[in-house]
Amino acid sequence: MPENWFEVGGYRLCSDRYYDAERHLWVELQPGSRVARVGFDPLGRETSGDIVEVSLSVVGTHVNRGEPFGNVEAAKFVGPLQAPVSGVVSGRNAQVLSRPGVLNDDPNEAWLVELDMADSSELSQLLRGEEQLRLWFAAEIERYRRQGAVAE
Amino acid sequence: MKTLLPVLQPAAAPRRSPDWVRISYASAVALRFKSGRFTRDFDFGGINLLLSYDEGCLSDCGYCGLARTRPGQYEDKSFIRVEWPLVETDELVRRLARCEDRLTRLCISMVTHGNSYRDTLEITKRIRAGVATPLSLLVAPPTLNEVRLRTLKEAGADIIGIGLDAVTEDLFRSIRTNVPQGGLRWEQYWRIVDAARDIYGPWHVNCHTLVGLGESDRDLMAIFERLLDRQIHSYLFCFNPEPDSRMGTSPKSDLSRWRRIQLAKFLLEESGLSAGAFAYDNEGALVSISAPRALVEETVADGFAFMTNGCPGAGGEPGCTRPMGSWRPSEAPRDYPWQPTESDELEIRRQLRLDEILRSGPGPTRPRELWAPPVAGRPARSVRAEHQ
Repeated sequence: MPENWFEVGGYRLCSDRYYDAERHLWVELQPGSRVARVGFDPLGRETSGDIVEVSLSVVGTHVNRGEPFGNVEAAKFVGPLQAPVSGVVSGRNAQVLSRPGVLNDDPNEAWLVELDMADSSELSQLLRGEEQLRLWFAAEIERYRRQGAVAE
Repeated sequence: MKTLLPVLQPAAAPRRSPDWVRISYASAVALRFKSGRFTRDFDFGGINLLLSYDEGCLSDCGYCGLARTRPGQYEDKSFIRVEWPLVETDELVRRLARCEDRLTRLCISMVTHGNSYRDTLEITKRIRAGVATPLSLLVAPPTLNEVRLRTLKEAGADIIGIGLDAVTEDLFRSIRTNVPQGGLRWEQYWRIVDAARDIYGPWHVNCHTLVGLGESDRDLMAIFERLLDRQIHSYLFCFNPEPDSRMGTSPKSDLSRWRRIQLAKFLLEESGLSAGAFAYDNEGALVSISAPRALVEETVADGFAFMTNGCPGAGGEPGCTRPMGSWRPSEAPRDYPWQPTESDELEIRRQLRLDEILRSGPGPTRPRELWAPPVAGRPARSVRAEHQ
């Protein structure tokens, strides 16, 4: 496993990434810039079901934290993708738009959008670091299991 | 120099029925074969199964995801637009038994295949040995006769469904008979409908009827009445184009038309209106419903007319609700797996455009004993008496 990656309950997480605990999205800062790459964390992806369609806001759209930057449709579920941080959409993953199934294969790799962050202090509202992430993620796996959203 | 031969591994046993069976995506989520969830929370206990063979279904219906000439391998083919995961039958039965208190109805869908009857019987027996939840069979008429229908009943099935789908003989021939391979026969389907009605009894047989294959509203209402007269349920389905099928680029039926068909069907079957209450234009499109406004308003308000048609649970509650079976999660619901809410009702009214078709007319004229029984789970409505 690459450096800084670790497993919780069979799901891979990265200690260098930020995680939005409520929305199950990861945020990865791009080196030397204010650009934050955003993607689904593996539990968020899995509990949505098999993703069949993704729509993303166009480049240049400003979104505040918590506002939708797109939509995800799975086999039996549809819901908004809500921004983990405020910013302007500066990039969209064309591969995800044309072949949404790549999200099912590897949500850690298949990013959704890049946001040019308006306020980097919002990152403090996200989770980061192996110890914190392990505790949070293990509890979330258990919560989703109790809800019946995770396969046995 | 010696050449080492590769060590041959024994071929894996084929994963086919009766030891393996496909399961609907929603059922797979409910039994935790798959991860996932529904957009809305609602009770779900109707488990749908589908026989599985490497050769696939030998029929070739123009609208079906399993059609023989649809491109792709059978195991990769979608059915009703979503994946049907393949699971081991014995593991399925274990999970059914574990979840039995939440289950309402089970259904095995046959496909047209030489082993279909034998394997349906075997799976029925395995299920019955472990689970008491009522079991329907959606049968493939070319594989059946009266003796086999009786044997399936003795094995524990209580309801038979027949996927007529196309509601006129001409349409059936063009989409299901005169096709590249494996043509089905209208007469044969009706022979099995009649035989099943005799063997399983009134309201224990249903025919699936599909809106959007090219039929008119008049055609649909005629088949509803024909089946109603024989105490056979019509279950309404909405054509949902399967990509790459021969009808893959055909449009889905207009939502207003669909909604009006749902309403008209309900008023005919469960509210006692006569066929004469419905008028059509020269093309056979429904142009008016003559009925007391209060009756129609009440029907729209309680929403049962717009719920999924399906077999009941043991206590008469809705048993099979096929959530999002004919609409994508991002689309407006076609048939509701839950009783429509107030906001759903607003949408339904907008889609119906009731004032365009509703005319003042008499209430129920059909004798009460000729009405279809209330759809599963519906309380008897005392207000109905006012319209009689």
